[in-house]
This record gives sequence, C-alpha cells and structure tokens, in this order.
Amino acid sequence: MAFLEIDGLKKRFGNVEILKGIDVELEKGGFLVLVGPSGCGKSTLLNTIAGLENITEGEIRVDGRAINDLHPSKRDIAMVFQSYALYPNMTVAGNIAFGMEMRGVPADERQKAIDKVAKTLQIGHLLNRKPSQLSGGQRQRVAMGRALVRDPKLFLFDEPLSNLDAKLRVDMRIEIKRLHATTGTTIVYVTHDQIEAMTLATKIAVMRDGEVQQFGTPAEIYNNPTNVFVADFMGSPAMNLIPAKIGANGSGLSVVLDREARQPITLSLPGAPAGLAAFKDKPVIFGVRPEALTDPEGAERNGSAIATADCHIEVVEPAGSDTFAVTNLGGKGVVARLRADARIQPGTVTPLAFNLTKAVFFDPATEKRIL
Amino acid sequence: MSAVTLPARQAGSGISAKAVNRIVIYGLLALFALFYLMPLFVMLVTSFKTMDEIQNGNMLALPQAPTIAPWFKAWGETCVGLTCAGIKGYFWNSIKMVVPAVLISTLLGALNGYVLTKWRFRGHTLVFAMMLFACFIPFQSVLLPMATILGSIGRFGATLQNATGFNFGLGNSTVNLVFVHVVYGLGFTTLFFRNYYEAFPTELVKAAQVDGASFFQIFRRIMLPNSMPIFVVTVIYQFTNIWNDFLFASAYAGTGDVMPMTVALNNVVNTSTGVVEYNVNMAAAMIAALPTLIVYVVAGRYFVRGLMAGAVKG
Repeated sequence: MAFLEIDGLKKRFGNVEILKGIDVELEKGGFLVLVGPSGCGKSTLLNTIAGLENITEGEIRVDGRAINDLHPSKRDIAMVFQSYALYPNMTVAGNIAFGMEMRGVPADERQKAIDKVAKTLQIGHLLNRKPSQLSGGQRQRVAMGRALVRDPKLFLFDEPLSNLDAKLRVDMRIEIKRLHATTGTTIVYVTHDQIEAMTLATKIAVMRDGEVQQFGTPAEIYNNPTNVFVADFMGSPAMNLIPAKIGANGSGLSVVLDREARQPITLSLPGAPAGLAAFKDKPVIFGVRPEALTDPEGAERNGSAIATADCHIEVVEPAGSDTFAVTNLGGKGVVARLRADARIQPGTVTPLAFNLTKAVFFDPATEKRIL
Repeated sequence: MSAVTLPARQAGSGISAKAVNRIVIYGLLALFALFYLMPLFVMLVTSFKTMDEIQNGNMLALPQAPTIAPWFKAWGETCVGLTCAGIKGYFWNSIKMVVPAVLISTLLGALNGYVLTKWRFRGHTLVFAMMLFACFIPFQSVLLPMATILGSIGRFGATLQNATGFNFGLGNSTVNLVFVHVVYGLGFTTLFFRNYYEAFPTELVKAAQVDGASFFQIFRRIMLPNSMPIFVVTVIYQFTNIWNDFLFASAYAGTGDVMPMTVALNNVVNTSTGVVEYNVNMAAAMIAALPTLIVYVVAGRYFVRGLMAGAVKG
C-alpha cells in the first residue's frame, strides 16, 4: 500500500469538471511532481490534497487514513506557496513558529525547533527580520523553513521556484533535491517547468485538462511517452514529431519521410513495435528526440539501429554545450542535436544519424502511442 | 503640491511664459487657501479677544490684549439652554458616543470585508451590493423608522428594568446614538475594508489555515495587523462623520443632559439672554472642532496614503 493514494478524485464547479478522475499514488519518501500547462488542474489537485478546496468525488488517503474530509490543519501536511505567503507583520522566527503557536506548543520547544530549522536552511542570521527585508531566495528559504519545522507527513510545494530568477532557480532546485535526500520526506510538487519535473521527481504525473495523461518515473515519461502531448511537453528542445508514412522493406517495415524538392528518406525499422504493421502504407507521427538525431561521429556507437541520411541544414544554433541544427522533414522544422564542435554550415547537405531504437510512433488520429 | 509640467512653447519666451504660469497657478492656490482659512482665522482671533474689543474693533485684527478667559467660560460656565455649566459635559457625551461607535463600526466593517473577500459564500456579491446601497440612503428617510425602532428598544429596556432591575443600556440616549451610527456607518466601513482586502493576498489566509489558525485567529493575527492604512482611513472618516453629526443627535438626543457636542454648541449660540458673547461662542466652536482636527493632524499622513492605496489597488 502506497503512502499517498488518490483514488478517482473528481472536482466540479457547477457543471464544469475541473478534475476528471485522478488516480495517483506515491510511496513513502517519494517525490511526486504534477506537471502540465497552465489551467490543467495541477494546482487545484494540490489544493484538494491540502484541504483548501473540497472534492466532489473520490478519496485521498495518507498513510492509510482518508483525509479528504479533514480540515487543512488536521491533515498533518505543510505547504509552500508560490508567493511564499509569509506573514508580513511577523518576523522570520514568528513566521516559522506560527503553526506551532496555533497548536499550543510551549515557547521553549518552539525556540528549539526554530533553531534546528534555521541551522538546516542557514537562515539563523535572518530570524529577527521582517519578510520585507529579505531577498527572493531568502524568502523562499523561510517559506521552506515554515513547512519543515512542523515535521509533517506530507510536503506540498506549489510552483515554489517560479518567482525566482533563472540562476537562483537552479540553485534552489538543487537545494530542494538535497533537502529531500537528507530528510527523506514525502513531497508533492507542482510546476509547469518540465526540467524541474525531470530533475526532482521520483514519479511524474503529466496533466492536461483535468486528466493525468501519463504517470510514471521520469525515465518512463521521457523515453516512453504514451501520447503526442506527453512527448511534446516533456524535454527541451521538444521531441521532433514528424508526419511520416510506413512502408514495406522486404519482410520488415520502413518509415518514409517526405522532403521538399528531394527524394523522400526511407529508413528501415528492424525492431519496429508490433502494432506498427497495421499502419503499413498509412500515415503515422514519427517521434525522435533531438539527441537521437545527430552527426554520425557523435551517434551512439552501440546503438543497434542507426540509420544515416543526407539532410539539408537550414539553420545552425550553437548553444555552447551543444550545437542545434534545423532541417526540414515531412514539412516540419526538425531539430538535431550535434556536438558543440561539429563543423556544420547552414545551407549545406550533411549526413545525420537517426537512432531508431529511441524513436517512437503515434497514431495521427488518436495521438496515442503505437506499441 | 505636485509639479505641474507645461510644454515649453518657444525657445525665446519659454522661460517667462513658464514663470507667468507658475505665478498664476500659485496665486490661485494661495487665494483659495486664504478663502478657506479666513473663517478659521476669524474664529481663532475672536476667541482670544475681550467683548469690548470685538464690539469696537476690526473683525480681522489680532487681539490687542489676548485672553483665554472665553475658552474657560465656554468650557465651564456658559449657558446651554437653561443650565449654565459650560459645554464640558456635552463634550464628554460626544466622546462617549464617538469612541464606541467608531470602534464598533470599524471592527464590524473589517469583519464584513474579511468574510466578503476571503470566506466567500453563495450570494456574496448580492450582500455586498446591498451593503453598498446603505451608503446611498439619505439620512432623512431613516429618521422616523429609526425613531420607532429606538422607541421599541427603549420599551424593551424598561421591561428588562422591571424584570431584572437593570436595562442593559437599552433606551439610553448615548447607546441609541451609538447604535444608529454603527448601523449607518456599516455600509461605508464595509466598502473600505472589502476593497482593501480584495487586493490582500489570499495565499496568506490559506497558509494560516494550513498552519492551523481558526477564523478569528486569522482575522486577529493576519488580517488586522496588515490593515493599518485602511484602518486609519476608516477611523478618520467615521470619527469626523459621527462627531460632526447634527441630524441624528438632535433627533434622538436633542434635549437635556444627553446632548452631544454639536447640539449643545447650537444651543450655546442660540441662547438669547443678554449680549451675544461672540468670543465664548467662537471658543466653544473651536473646542467642538478640535478633536477632528487632532485626528487629522495625528493620522492625516496615513489618510492620504491609505486613500491612494485603495485607489491604485481598486
């Protein structure tokens, strides 16, 4: 039995269904990230776990106990808000201790707990300041301190890094990961940033329009997306989703990619998924991540199905650590990820290596993965 | 005053045109300021003059032999109607009425604003619209219905008096006035606080809920300590209105020892025995105006700041 279990959770506002039957579970000490575009219901889902919003149907259990009818303060949770929500009239120490004060914890115990948390988060020198006298990163730490001090069963984070600048965001992300590793707490974390989701999570739930599109480990989500939405949403630069056709190649199958004013590329598929046979001579969506489309020297040596094809390079973007090249296949711009020092010129024709073991196929009608 | 920037017209005459504009603007401002301050000045100088000086001298002249006797007389000896014990009793009547009325109406307004923004219920917009409507009801139209209600409350108080030996303040004129002003002020105070709390971050309330704070703990520990600007605005507004009110005061406490300051001042000026003592009248008027003046001076900075805050945040 999992530590956090959400069963068939539905939430309606009048006739509008915001959450359409969510089933998610998380083991103790796990890190669940709810990710999706804005308006997908991820924050609403977090608020229902916190008890700040009621649910219409379903059940939420923590450690085997149903909590969906309990008041937020009785659920043994702590929450870090997007705006930090520090009480402006109280000092940092007052903010951290407010929850304990409300629960009637004696003053000397409160002081001990404050000192311990301040040491963990290195905010000891800030304890007597007001929130208005803190920088963004310091406020973030205090907000986490307020959650940590209570030692709850479950931590909820609502887009905690979205108000920080890019560099600080990376630092705090590492800090949250370290905190999770050292304290072993169970965390549910909402974000719209797929990199945060990939780096922090032990489990990811990708959401859209109030439904979980895919639930799994970061590697599963990244390598085996169940539909076009998940494939497109996770990963940066996004996966190339190329309109293509399945053809026959002797006894096996091949994928045919159209090109402007050139011969179509035909790549044979030795290890094609079984379901693909039904799509012979039919259109499919051919999904290949930029790192699976690279210069032949940089391609994975031990890849079992590397196919090389000459491509016309339209744009080259050197990004420092990598060089991205854009070519046109199937009427769409396709991004290839090359080594940083790859010698490549826009306007030339260069061979590119397709790592077909990493390629995925989708049915254009249902947008579901073909397995 | 904020600087008024005008586009420079021609390079040659630009500076002089600007200077002329400045002179006109500041001249007009000075004129209006003079126009507003003149009555206050006349009141002030008259209150320090002797009667001889007033009868023979210029109204605008400074007192030749300044005396504070008129102020003492106004405070302790002058006749209000038939009793001649000064206005001090009535001054305290007003204080006893204003302080509870302001505090109760402000706190209730804050509570209303808190509920209407952070604990929304079905039909909260309708409730707010109706409270807003209370701001536009003319005083005159509530006079008679309110008199009837106060009469009933008074009779109930008398019944309680007979039954328990104590009327719980029901039927007392000061309590009546406090009640009337609280009811009438509630629309305004609710409006002020609702608009302020509308812009107040709801995440703070949610955080406090997760922290285990109750409805009133959130109100007292989170909302009120962060409401200083609007609190000051509301207190000034309510204090000025209630202190200066004449209509309700004369209608429900217009005679005897229970009169508030405004009614008493009117009676001082209208007492028609012997010579009209202008210096005493002016001193009494100054004393009557003093509390609102003090409130403005002490809290005026917040008043301007608070009004701005409300204006920007909507």
